[in-house]
Formats: sequence, C-alpha cells, structure tokens
Amino acid sequence: MTMQKHWRNRRSLYRLEGAQCMDCGRVFYPPAPRCVYCGSGRLERKQLPRRGTLVSYSVVYSVSDEGRKEAPVIVGLIDLGDAKVIAEVTDADPDELQVGIQVEAVLRRLGVQGESGVIYYGLKFRPALGAD
Amino acid sequence: MAYVTGAGMVKIDRHYSLGVRELAAQAAEKALEDSERSSVDFVIAASSLSFMQEPQLDLASYLASTLGLRGVKALTVEAGEASGAAAVQAALALVKSGLARRVLVVGVDKMTDYNSPETYRHLQHLYDTVGEGFHKIGHAGIAGILMRLYMTEYGVDREVMAYWSALMHANAKENPYAMLRFALDPSKVKNAMPLADPVTLLDAYPLGDGAAAIVIESSPGRAMASILTVESATGYPSVAHRQNPLHIESLAEAASKAGIMGGDGRMRIDFMEIHDSFTITAFMILETLGASDKGKAAEDAAEGRYSRDGELPVNPSGGLKARGHPIGATGFYQYAEAAMQLAGVFPGVKVGDAKRGAVVSLNGFGSSSYVGLLSRP
Repeated sequence: MTMQKHWRNRRSLYRLEGAQCMDCGRVFYPPAPRCVYCGSGRLERKQLPRRGTLVSYSVVYSVSDEGRKEAPVIVGLIDLGDAKVIAEVTDADPDELQVGIQVEAVLRRLGVQGESGVIYYGLKFRPALGAD
Repeated sequence: MAYVTGAGMVKIDRHYSLGVRELAAQAAEKALEDSERSSVDFVIAASSLSFMQEPQLDLASYLASTLGLRGVKALTVEAGEASGAAAVQAALALVKSGLARRVLVVGVDKMTDYNSPETYRHLQHLYDTVGEGFHKIGHAGIAGILMRLYMTEYGVDREVMAYWSALMHANAKENPYAMLRFALDPSKVKNAMPLADPVTLLDAYPLGDGAAAIVIESSPGRAMASILTVESATGYPSVAHRQNPLHIESLAEAASKAGIMGGDGRMRIDFMEIHDSFTITAFMILETLGASDKGKAAEDAAEGRYSRDGELPVNPSGGLKARGHPIGATGFYQYAEAAMQLAGVFPGVKVGDAKRGAVVSLNGFGSSSYVGLLSRP
C-alpha cells in the first residue's frame, strides 16, 4: 500500500463515511462515484453509526508478511444498521469472541510501511465497552 | 457455432523448472496437437498472478513467440479467478462473429515462486482493494466469514461440511492432471491447520502452478464438444453489499441467461465443473443455482447427490479443492475437462452418457460470475 492510496481513502478510513443514494435510498460503504445498487450518481456522503452487531468473523492465520507480527488477525462482518461493513476486529480474544455481540469503531494503527516508513491509521472494531 | 477441437493440460504441481511461458507452451502445444492444427488466427492468454509473480506484462505476445507463432494476433485477458472463463467468452465472440476462425486460448499461472505469505498478498488483490481487500483478509478471510455465517444462519454441522473435500479428493485421485491425488478422510478436515478459522487448509485450494489450453473453431472438424454459450454478470464489490451474503447474485444472473435451469427447477445438464475455491464457495454456488436448498448443500454432498453416480455429478475432475486452482488457468482446466467428458475421453472419473455440461467460474465470491454451457458437437 502507498501513502497516496491511504490518503485517498482517508474519509472512509478515519470517519466511517459511506454514501446514501438519493434515488433508491440505500446506504453503502465505502463510498463510490455511483450507487452500487442502482447506478445513480445522485449520492450524499453519510457518516455511518460507529456501533453495530458482529454478524460473522474469521480468525485469519494465512496473512501476508505485513500482517505476520499481529497474526492471527480477526476480520468481521459488521451490521451497522444502515449498511454492513467488513473490517478488522481488535481488543478481542479469538476464543471468547461471539457472533451477535455489539462492537464499536475505534481508531487504531493499521500498519507500518517498511522500517522507517509511514504509520497508517484507520478504524477497527472492538467489543463495545459496557455492552448490553 | 463454436467448437472445442483440442484440449491440453499440464499436471498442476510445483513446477520450479518452468517459467510462465514454458508452462503455457506445454499446454498450448498439446491442445494444438490434439486439434491437428498448427496455425491459428488469434492467441488469447489468460493469467492473473503472472503480472505479479513472473512478473510479465503483455504475456500473450511473448507467448506467441515462445510458440513459434510470430505475426499472429494476440490478446491477454485478466479477470482474476475467472480469467479463463472470460478468455473463453472473448474467443467465442471472435469465432461467432467471424472475426476469427480458429483461436488458441491458453491460461497459465504460477503460485509457488514466492513464499506463501507473499502469494497470499498477491491473492488478496482478487478482492476490492479499496473495500474489504484493504484489510488483512489474506486469501481466505472472506471465506472464513462466510463459512461461519453459513454455520450460524443454517445451523449446519461443521463435520458434515468436510465431506465436500473428501469427495473432491476421491475424484482427483483418478485425474492424472490433478495436484492432490490422494484420498482424504473427512474427519481430518476440521482440525487441520487453520487458514482463516473456521476454514482450514483442507477446506481450501492448494497453491500450485498450472497451464491449460483449448482450441476453439468455427468449423466442427473433429470437434470434442460445442460451446453453446458463455454468459456472465458482474456483481457487488463486496459480500457486505448483499442482503444475503451467501447468495451470489451475479451467478444467479449468469445462470439464468445461460439457461441451465429447466422450468421444473431441475438442472438441464448432466454434470458441472464448479469453482469450489473453498468448501463454502461450493455450497454457495450449489445453493444459488438451486441444485440444493438453502443450507442443505453440505448434507446433499455427504449423501452422494454430487458424486459420480449421484443425481448431478459435480467436479469429476476433483475441482479447485483437489485438482487445483492456478488462478488464471483454472477456467481452462474446467473447459478442457468438460469438453473431454462430452467426448468421452476424460482420463479420470467419467460421467456416463454425458450430453450437456456446465462450467461455473467466479472471481472471489462473485465480483463476477461466468456460466458456460457445452454439449456434444
């Protein structure tokens, strides 16, 4: 990954911004120039809820070298109500994680480019504090 | 009409001594020899990883030279894991439109020149790199999410799911071109090395090098099979965009256009070669096509519906799971195997009296889907 690519995606990565279609009304993430559902170009940026339900997850061991140090990496499918997203899950013990729990977005380090390169940040999800 | 007049495959393996072009040439020369042709109008090369692994761009032109076909028209097709099917679709358009009479289509990929983590990084690019592919999902993370969702949603027992891999190994054992030619005990699958829990090594395709080729012509000559159609549709960029992530909408669309389902809900084919990159992919495909009811594909597979003597034999080759899945080449293995089945010359598990067969290819979990329909000539 390059710094440029990270910068281009900063709004979805830092602020959990998706898009809402003014024609079909649906919400999706990450934002794109046209609605992934109906193809309309009439879209508005929409900040997604930072809390949602963990619908499913996987504990990934077969990661590239960039992820070796943190392996296994947990990735989850999270339902935020308006839209579903796939993102990393953090602060969780793989053995204790369960489908259906509440999770919340938190800003975390995503990776480092080389030994002295840029440190990338972005949103991950952790089990919600004070979860019901 | 378009006919398959020749097919050539290389055994999927770790071919350290062969580069991408040499591997492709072996398959291409076999296909040309098989079709008893030495000249073609067009060479279409399909490859996905060779841009990163070899690395080589404009592969088709260099391959034409390797084959001694300098001067021929050449085109390279990349469509991720569906590259092979996309190239066959392009060849079909050329032949049916009269722009070409004879096309050599060849698929090749090497996956073993780098260590596995580096190959996982390459494979991660099959997913949307500004969406889920941005995260450290590796090659199997989405499969893991979908497999757990399947188990939760339908209450399917993990042990029953293991019969798919066992069936694929049983078929591959008889296929001389397959990478994993040994029987697999289903009780070993669940506790094998985890790739993306609950997906284990034994739920996933192996990393191997391979090349396969077919010759497609407008005149029947000594045709092995007719390609009636190759239909396709693009899908959502992520499974997260789907209402039901386990339903592959692009596949449903491609299958409906190809007309492989009869009005009575039964499939109008005698066998299928499908894209079982992971156990869960196989079940999603079978259920999206309506061959199994939702949540029932694992049980149906365990009970023999998809075995060689079952109601609908699926992947007599051993599938991606055991024949292997050299990404850009896989589609050509599928089409070559289907054509050989219809001609009665497939050197592995034979489907008795097969008149029509289908080939299902996907990228990822359906960012695009292809359905090919073949028949006896």
